[in-house]
Amino acid sequence: MKRSSLIRDLQGAIGRRWVLHAPEDLLVYEYDATIDRGLPEAVVLPDDAEGVASAVCIASNHGVPVTARGAGTGLSGGAIPCEGGVVIVTTRMNRILELDPENRIAVVEPGVINLDISRSTAPYGLYYAPDPSSQKACSIGGNVAENAGGPHCLRYGTTTNHVLGLEIVTADGVVVWLGGKTADTPGYDLTGVVVGSEGTLAIVTKVIVRLLHKPEATVTLLAIFDTVTQASRVVSSIIGKGMVPAALEMMDKNTMDAVEPFVHAGYPPDAGAVLLIEVEGLKEDAQEQADAVASICRELEAREIRIGLSQEDRDRLWAGRKGALGALGRLAPSYYILDGVIPRTRLPTVLDGVYEACDRFGFRVANVFHAGDGNLHPNVMFDERVQGATKKVLDLGEEIMRLCVDAGGSITGEHGVGYEKRNYMSWIFSPDDLEVMSRLKAAFGASEIFNPGKVFPTSKGCGEVSSRMRAAIARVGADAFV
Amino acid sequence: MPSSRTPTVIAQATILDDLSAIVGGEHAYPADESQRFVVDGMTPRAVVEPGSYEEVAGVMRYASEQGLAAIPLGGGTKRHIGNLPSRYDLALSLSHIHQIIEHEPADLTVTCQAGISVAELDRRLRVHGQRVPFDVSHGQQASVGGVLAANTNGPSRPAYGALRDFTIGIRMVTGDGRITRAGGKVVKNVAGFDLCKLYIGSLGTLGVIVEATFKVMPVARLERSVLLSLDTPGGACALSAELHRRGLALSHVQLSGRGDATGYSWLLETRLAGSEGAVERSENEVVGLAPGSHAQPAGSDVSSTDRFSGEHFDDSSLLCRFSTLPSRLAAFIGAVQRLESPDILAEPATGILRVSWHEIDGATVLERARQIAASHSATAVVERCPPELKQHIDVFGDPPPAFQLMRSVKQQFDPKGILSPGRFVGRL
Repeated sequence: MKRSSLIRDLQGAIGRRWVLHAPEDLLVYEYDATIDRGLPEAVVLPDDAEGVASAVCIASNHGVPVTARGAGTGLSGGAIPCEGGVVIVTTRMNRILELDPENRIAVVEPGVINLDISRSTAPYGLYYAPDPSSQKACSIGGNVAENAGGPHCLRYGTTTNHVLGLEIVTADGVVVWLGGKTADTPGYDLTGVVVGSEGTLAIVTKVIVRLLHKPEATVTLLAIFDTVTQASRVVSSIIGKGMVPAALEMMDKNTMDAVEPFVHAGYPPDAGAVLLIEVEGLKEDAQEQADAVASICRELEAREIRIGLSQEDRDRLWAGRKGALGALGRLAPSYYILDGVIPRTRLPTVLDGVYEACDRFGFRVANVFHAGDGNLHPNVMFDERVQGATKKVLDLGEEIMRLCVDAGGSITGEHGVGYEKRNYMSWIFSPDDLEVMSRLKAAFGASEIFNPGKVFPTSKGCGEVSSRMRAAIARVGADAFV
Repeated sequence: MPSSRTPTVIAQATILDDLSAIVGGEHAYPADESQRFVVDGMTPRAVVEPGSYEEVAGVMRYASEQGLAAIPLGGGTKRHIGNLPSRYDLALSLSHIHQIIEHEPADLTVTCQAGISVAELDRRLRVHGQRVPFDVSHGQQASVGGVLAANTNGPSRPAYGALRDFTIGIRMVTGDGRITRAGGKVVKNVAGFDLCKLYIGSLGTLGVIVEATFKVMPVARLERSVLLSLDTPGGACALSAELHRRGLALSHVQLSGRGDATGYSWLLETRLAGSEGAVERSENEVVGLAPGSHAQPAGSDVSSTDRFSGEHFDDSSLLCRFSTLPSRLAAFIGAVQRLESPDILAEPATGILRVSWHEIDGATVLERARQIAASHSATAVVERCPPELKQHIDVFGDPPPAFQLMRSVKQQFDPKGILSPGRFVGRL
């Protein structure tokens, strides 16, 4: 069938105003926070589940795929329409439908911005725990698709631990609820498998989230070290002593060098690494944990420890971390954000390996990451205008992923597989493991239609061959997050 | 639902011979009259005890080829959960697969085999001052795999999470005998579909869980219980909500009620865990909010302070688990309490309660209990009742909204209908 009839059908179902098809409009939806491209044939902005269901049915009738898109901040190309087709944008579905402080739940639409949930629940002393660094911009629907993490997931878990139920649209256009508001619902935990399925099983149209009471006290510590190895040892020691802080973040020298001119955090120019550690709970517990953390830092030769108790002081200590990625944009024209996970005891060894590999390939790397749960984010700086640089940096990325897997880790902790890493899936999963996953996809009847080309190894490329090589090269700018 | 229902014509002696060839002679035997492998009054044709994942896979390949229905069993403490099996040929015992595979204390993770008992794993981890926050009864017998398959959680869920929160990897043998893995060994991991979630609570209907990896946590330095006597469930629920709102160091809050038509007595057990300062202050606040209560140290066997330990429900003639919204719990309890005065054990923070009746007409009571549940937006699952009653009911109640999807999942994972057939929601 022709594209014009696809567009006419979509217009009939969703309304002319909410169907974009002019080339200049489509361009806006061909990328996300990665810089790979994939041009959709049409973009629709439905207002509710029925609109989403109609769009899915129409796309299906026309034999074109459907890719869901929230705010487009993803770091694995999840929202890029690899094989064209229809992009369903959830930004108009941005209502908080129910707020139930007594039962500590909220029902929200997928286009609601992550931070807006916590903002609207703050008057009740409640908040939504998962806090991806892009939380001012990213949408809850995208968080659900990617099982988004964030610094405070160390203690509170990722998106999956905070979603109780989902309303979804299936591949055959049926609207159905999974899970629910109560703690237990009979049957298979389908909510748990749709979270993190990267838009390949269903399109989420409502989300029931769990809210937490704000802790009574929070203490933030910033500890400065001469070397990354020292800081890594502190991480291992904190975890090894059985402490699970709310957040435990590390930045290395290259990151500090980039951040200092903007944030004026007062990082000493010759420091090798900084740890940002947050503990919270009852004030007795927070204080005791803060003392214990400080004493570990001193024992392992921190050269300076700063402690923030008030919100203002704590914000100041976080400022360098929060602005890190944006600042890195100043150091190189392009950079490649990696996302890998390792067992926490392997941190010193694997970090050594990362620096060694980057040296060998001739790239500078800045490490700014969730050290407490072993979630590495090496940011490799390069210039994609230099002939062959992109290919080389992707090879380096592959080698670093290998280091993570060889250490017993995983190829992604929070950004998702997307298509960048789909061919690494076979490093950690056997053909049988992957076959079993494909059974789930078959059960959802979603084999072809939803977000094709993502998550699973395939020989097909995304978009043009030339752009495939640039799949994971992140866009640099003040609005970049990790 | 099972697509292949060819009657099994194969003789028992042949089955035993064939299984012996896979697992060795002494590990395949007739179930005789021993109660250990009886499920809802049904005795399997053979018991098989594989000693390795490969042997489990071999047994499943054989079962798949022969169309034999297998029910995986650990300690057998949760056999009463689930619908009547539609067929039951093989009891697949995992008791001989019970090793700890890997425990790196500094990583706060442990990988163990499915057959290890909860108590044994706990004992081995406590040597390092760590634990997996399982919250189950019959820990000496209950196996880790069984706890996962039945998705058994308890009142520590608000504090430490449910199984779905602290299980990070599962190795599962499929119905057609493939050894597969989901998740991994690191605490943060979004590679591929999170099939761990699917397997937890699947009651042996999608595959055989043979190994799992968990996040571990340190054993609390100090743990103490405060028992509060209260006049009404409403007062207890309000008190519990206030304790949570204050963020006190609670590891467990449970309300038990017992009585008869003339009156009920209510006991709220709050267990406090954490640093000395936090526990002390929490205790003071709990006692301050509920004058007349008394505190006592919680020993290693904290269930002694709890008048309805899991064992108490072993001889229920009808045991139901309900899940409602916390805000509706008190009203729900009020209604269910008037129904033949059952024993009630509730978690005010999650809205989950277990209600146990003795010596009643199960069918009548269940019907009324389900009406009460429906009018309080609660889900209701029968956890224990006589097999005769099970013949007439679906213990999970009406199929959930996503039943069609669940049926396709079952179809995809178990096309031959040999994995605990009939036992799950909607008799899948």
